[in-house]
Amino acid sequence: MSGRSAVPGVQGVALRARAAGHRRPWTRHLLGYALVAPLVLLMVGVIGYPLLNTVLLSFQDQGVVGSNSTYVGFENYGRALGDGEFWAAIGRSGIWLVGNLVVQTVIAFVTALVIGGNGRWARASRTWTLFPWVIPTVAVAVIWQWLSNSNYGVVPKAASAVGIDGLGSPFGDSALAMPALILMNSWHWFPLGAVVIYGAMRTIPGEIYEAARVDGANAWRTFWRITFPLLQPVLFALGLVGSLWSFNIVDSIYLVTKGGPADATTTAPVFIYNKAFNEFQASDAAAVSVVTIILLAALAFFYIRVARPKEDQ
Amino acid sequence: MTTALRWHRVPRLLAMAALTVMVLGPLYWITMSAFKDREEILRSTPTIFPEHPTLENFRELFTATDYPSYLTNSFIVALLTAFFTMLVSFAAAYGLYRLRIPGGNKVAGLILVAYMIPGTLLLVPLYQVFAKVQLVDTRNALVIVNVAFTAPFCTWLLRGFFFAIPRDIDEAAAVDGAGPVRMMFRIVLPLLRPGLSTVGVYAFVFSWTEFVFASQLLVSDDLKTLPIGLSAIMGQYTVNWGLLMAGTVCTVIPAIVPFLFAGRYFVGGLTAGAVK
Repeated sequence: MSGRSAVPGVQGVALRARAAGHRRPWTRHLLGYALVAPLVLLMVGVIGYPLLNTVLLSFQDQGVVGSNSTYVGFENYGRALGDGEFWAAIGRSGIWLVGNLVVQTVIAFVTALVIGGNGRWARASRTWTLFPWVIPTVAVAVIWQWLSNSNYGVVPKAASAVGIDGLGSPFGDSALAMPALILMNSWHWFPLGAVVIYGAMRTIPGEIYEAARVDGANAWRTFWRITFPLLQPVLFALGLVGSLWSFNIVDSIYLVTKGGPADATTTAPVFIYNKAFNEFQASDAAAVSVVTIILLAALAFFYIRVARPKEDQ
Repeated sequence: MTTALRWHRVPRLLAMAALTVMVLGPLYWITMSAFKDREEILRSTPTIFPEHPTLENFRELFTATDYPSYLTNSFIVALLTAFFTMLVSFAAAYGLYRLRIPGGNKVAGLILVAYMIPGTLLLVPLYQVFAKVQLVDTRNALVIVNVAFTAPFCTWLLRGFFFAIPRDIDEAAAVDGAGPVRMMFRIVLPLLRPGLSTVGVYAFVFSWTEFVFASQLLVSDDLKTLPIGLSAIMGQYTVNWGLLMAGTVCTVIPAIVPFLFAGRYFVGGLTAGAVK
């Protein structure tokens, strides 16, 4: 940037008109398309084409991924829809989704309120709060397995210090594995929601709070009558994107339990992953993927119809 | 009066203390564990701070395991991913939000859809595509996948940064005879540095943590990245927690350090993106 960019107003307008007049727009458009092309090609090649291929594959009888196959019609779909294990996995995905959504939203809200303070520590917290989100999932998995280790973990030890003895590692217990994984995954993901909610809260004008204070509203009332309703659009978007992202998580689950013990943590994406790469039934995995995408799209559509904020511009 | 005011602050202070323990506590604990020797780490009454801090775990990690190779691979893949994501998303955002090509809105809409598509569900066909073009078991395959999944979101993230640059600058430069290409590199690119660093850090971190694609697209041991390698170490050395903690600390630090430098823009960029 140099002084050259400073053009006086009126003269600038006149020159601008002339410059725009003799510039041939198609070269400009050509440049624009050339710039967008790499992104579009990547999206088509890595997302679009495989998506189409999933559909094609679901009508074939491929075993090991990439091997030869023939057309079998709706056979795979029949098997997928009649598979009790698949529906059980969908059910667990529902628990996973709702559990993560509730836990993360509550923690993110409290965090957003706390990191918005003016103190030095509060300001620093806006950076370190994001650490759990930034660190790799494999590290999250190791950290929580170490903290909850039944022999040496600090959490069972702290629990026994306050009188709760014999706490084993929750990840090995089929009843506790799912809630424990939801908590672990929420630790990994809540910072994103917290920062987004914090950012949205800052856009609410201070005068509104001032007016509420003058009217004698307490903090609780102010939160439910002002903050919460004004955050609706952001919460709506966060709920949609966050839910889709949580639904699709494989790494948090797979790295800790591989879907076990006894399938207790096999959600739909883990089920698909196992089917394709451990049971070598690529076509079945594809059919299950298509059914899952359709269910997910229906759910997203329903959510948008029901939860979309009313006064949407 | 003052006491009343202080009481008012108690819930907030408690919540802040809880947040601090919840976020920084586990990170503190693994760091301390990494510096403990074999006896101390398994002691029945854990020590808050290592009595005899040792680097033995780190020495073993870098000499007796394949960790150095995993670390190198992760760095190569993450740096390439960050570089190409910055390139692709900057170019696309310039075309979409600055040159405003006809049909740009449709592409912008597709971008939003793309970042909601479940990546895992595409794993099977994607593996086939890469097998067809002989890219399975190469780092390039992983870079391509990572860029494809980060670039759409990053293009969208750059939108806010582009809108913050006044259009008058373009027009003034056009008057001076600068063509769109020159304008892009000389004028817009320098102003977009905060946006690009946000995008770079996001792509680096995404690639650093990516597990699902890396687990299937990379087969050879000498190509494996950290998420795969560390989980393999976890399987092999289940009892050697000190070693595992050293590995975890070394895996966490490269994700946190770039974030500390660009974090300010990062938080700003994400919140700006969310509010719009």
